[in-house]
Amino acid sequence: MNVQELKKQYDGKTVVDGVSFAIPKGKVTSLIGPNGAGKSTVMGMISRLIAHDSGVVDFEGRDIGKWKSRELSRRLAILTQSNSIQMKLTVRELVAFGRFPYSGNRVTLEDQKIIDRAISYMELEGFQDRFIDELSGGQRQRAMIAMVIAQDTEYVLLDEPTNNLDIYHATNMMKIVRRLCDELGKTVILVLHEINYAAFYSDYICAFKDGKIARFGTVEGVMTKENLSQIYQVDFEILTIAGKPLSIYY
Amino acid sequence: MVLLLVASVISLFIGVIELPLQELLSGNLHLWEIFLVSRLPRLLAILCTGVGMSVAGLIMQQLCSNKFVSPTTGATISSAQLGILLALLFMPSSTLWTRALFAFAAAILGTWIFVWFIQRIQFKDAVMVPLVGIMCGNVIGGITSYLAYKYEMTQALSSWLVGHFSLVLKGRYEIVGLTVPLVALAFVFANHFNIVGLGKDFSRNLGVPYNLVLFSGLTISAMITASIVVVVGSISYIGLIVPNVVAMYKGDRIRGTLADTALFGAIFVLVCDMIGRVVIFPYELPIELIVGILGSLIFIALLFCRLKYGRRAIRLGGTGTGCCSAMPGLKGGAEQ
Amino acid sequence: MNTAAIRANRRRLLILTVIVLFCAAAYMLVEVDFSNPRLFAYAMKLRAPKLIVMLITAFSIGGASLVFQSIINNTIVTPCLLGMNSLYTLIHTAVVFFLGSASAAASNANLSFAVDVVLMGIAATVIYSWIFKKTKHNVLYVLLVGTVLTSFFGSIQTTLTRVMDPNEYDSLMNTLVASFSNINSEIIVFSLILLAAVIFALRKELALLDVLTLGKEQAINLGVDYDRCIRRLLLGVALCIAVATAMVGPISFLGLIIANLSRQLLKTYRHTHLVLGSALFGMIVLVGGQLIVEHIYSYSVPVSVFITVGGGLYFLYLLLTRKKV
Repeated sequence: MNVQELKKQYDGKTVVDGVSFAIPKGKVTSLIGPNGAGKSTVMGMISRLIAHDSGVVDFEGRDIGKWKSRELSRRLAILTQSNSIQMKLTVRELVAFGRFPYSGNRVTLEDQKIIDRAISYMELEGFQDRFIDELSGGQRQRAMIAMVIAQDTEYVLLDEPTNNLDIYHATNMMKIVRRLCDELGKTVILVLHEINYAAFYSDYICAFKDGKIARFGTVEGVMTKENLSQIYQVDFEILTIAGKPLSIYY
Repeated sequence: MVLLLVASVISLFIGVIELPLQELLSGNLHLWEIFLVSRLPRLLAILCTGVGMSVAGLIMQQLCSNKFVSPTTGATISSAQLGILLALLFMPSSTLWTRALFAFAAAILGTWIFVWFIQRIQFKDAVMVPLVGIMCGNVIGGITSYLAYKYEMTQALSSWLVGHFSLVLKGRYEIVGLTVPLVALAFVFANHFNIVGLGKDFSRNLGVPYNLVLFSGLTISAMITASIVVVVGSISYIGLIVPNVVAMYKGDRIRGTLADTALFGAIFVLVCDMIGRVVIFPYELPIELIVGILGSLIFIALLFCRLKYGRRAIRLGGTGTGCCSAMPGLKGGAEQ
Repeated sequence: MNTAAIRANRRRLLILTVIVLFCAAAYMLVEVDFSNPRLFAYAMKLRAPKLIVMLITAFSIGGASLVFQSIINNTIVTPCLLGMNSLYTLIHTAVVFFLGSASAAASNANLSFAVDVVLMGIAATVIYSWIFKKTKHNVLYVLLVGTVLTSFFGSIQTTLTRVMDPNEYDSLMNTLVASFSNINSEIIVFSLILLAAVIFALRKELALLDVLTLGKEQAINLGVDYDRCIRRLLLGVALCIAVATAMVGPISFLGLIIANLSRQLLKTYRHTHLVLGSALFGMIVLVGGQLIVEHIYSYSVPVSVFITVGGGLYFLYLLLTRKKV
């Protein structure tokens, strides 16, 4: 995926201002940055949820707006923060929706197998007949991920997947993200607030500030004292734990 | 401000001149009588209606911190109508005053219940609040028309369903004068309403008794509305549009905008009334119809404005901490 | 979906169908003189079209309301908020006003129905497409504008009636009050064809309803052309309501009751079941209500008033039992 000179304005205010980057295939890339830096908007634009004003989002040789939505949904999955599902829907039924881009409303036998696999991959067997609105936040998030797995796309985009989760569930979520990449070979792009999760679990970091990319590179390249202090305007220290650079801010 | 006042006085006299000629006023007793019995009351009623309805709307919007709440979208008008019908049913010989009492009680009760309702429920979008209010209004309206059908009162009821000034005569309109002290009361407590609109915790922090102010504020606006409904009939939209238009220019601090809102409301009703009297000249159209047509167009324009220019045009309950959003704490202040 | 739940729902729908049949039979046969074949035939001839109209109305309102709720993603709204009812009364009044009650378009029931529905379809398409464009497909705002339009149309309609000839006003009022009398069999055929056409035109979108309930972003993620789909579905809803209103006049709240009853009973997201349940409930409410109105209240109170009051109370109950709206 190749992004060039992406721009977006809201009410005359430029939110994203000429962003260009290339997403490395088969890796985990985290978008970080302060509030209002434009990272979620960029996420929306590269997933076709938000239309871009100018620039190009080149997905496999074609602009994302020129793809047929149905076709795109077999190659790219997006999970946003707002997942309030009103309907009486069981976990298994939700996961089954992941097969919709392929088979529509009819769930084939093969689909059933894929759904089974997705559910067991996320260890949701015990919950599969429970209703979504009866689950805890962590379980619900896992069910959503299971749906994305069933959707079986090469690219997986997650907008703040650790939001509203406690430390235990958030850390587990990040481990799942890592497994999506390592075991299933997916390209994962995620927006994160917690920089240490980004540092520990991703391969590349793209740091935003004021609608522009401040730094983009490997974790080691971006996670330096100077870079972070400049982006977040607070003082940082970098520690190395388990071979990964982690930050402390004060 | 001065300009507005002058304009309203001028438009007043244009309205009055319509039938009796101004020049003859110098000596003609007969014309004086017409003037005092019919023209002046009508004028006063128009002013009271304009001021009262827009202030009532402003108070409700402040208290609920939702820009779409008003006597129309908050079940107040329909409850007042139900009250009048009940009075007609149980006391067929009742005077205007007893009917007014019934209307007061029903309007206050209806508004309280509505606000109690929306406080209990968490709304995902501020737009849902007026929708629920309109549905509540439909329910009460349904009960009213059921009773009306059952006791064959549909005819009698219809004059309270469509507001008009043509029956405003000396001796029939004085109740509408109640709006004056009520509006004055609203002026006195304006700051309290503002604080309560910012949320339960916020007002408790400042030592303002939340429930007391909330419900007495609602009572004031319900009584204003009811006294107008009794005399004139229902007039929708004024309470919704006028405060919003004023807030676009003047901001949301109720103390500063209350006077402007009242003035603008009076002018708006005056202009609508004049249009209603001119369009099919020898006859006149009820004001409710003119307000309904103009008002809904203005409201839709306001909505589109807001969508186009974002939050500047109409600030929806952006603070998110009022009683309607029922969200404890003060974190809602952060804009998305 | 586990098969046990599906089977349970099928059983529930079957029971509903039986109740509908029972109501229909009761409606046809209560207080009918069996001994006199001529009277019997007369009663049948009188009641059968009414019954069919009620069934069609229930189907279109039930289906439309349920689809509408799923589009808005909110179960306490009803399409009567869109202002379709008052648009219909306005158009009907305008036809009488400009052409006169004696003209063919107003006096001939068939033609009048056709004119109403066609005009309504055009007006609805133009107005709501415009609103959609203006609100950037924000469904809640469409709804709010709709409620405002309700009073806008209502005001214009009342203005017209005030200006119009009293005789014409009388003949107009007779056709505006929701009732199931004066039904023409050709209208039934016409509206059936129209409904079928709407369903056929929207068959693709209707299949997407299950996915739409996941919300806008998830629907897009799963490859649905969201804006277009919603627009087309809403227009379909508008047309269904138009047909129902043109046949029997405005009935608010019916859709709200039956769609929610269906959701409560079936507890599923599958729209094939939900729509069917909603339509069946609609038939029970309408036919049963009409039965009560005709035989207990002897026509003194219109059935629409009953439905408004009952539906309103049910609506308040729904609000109270739900924390989030």
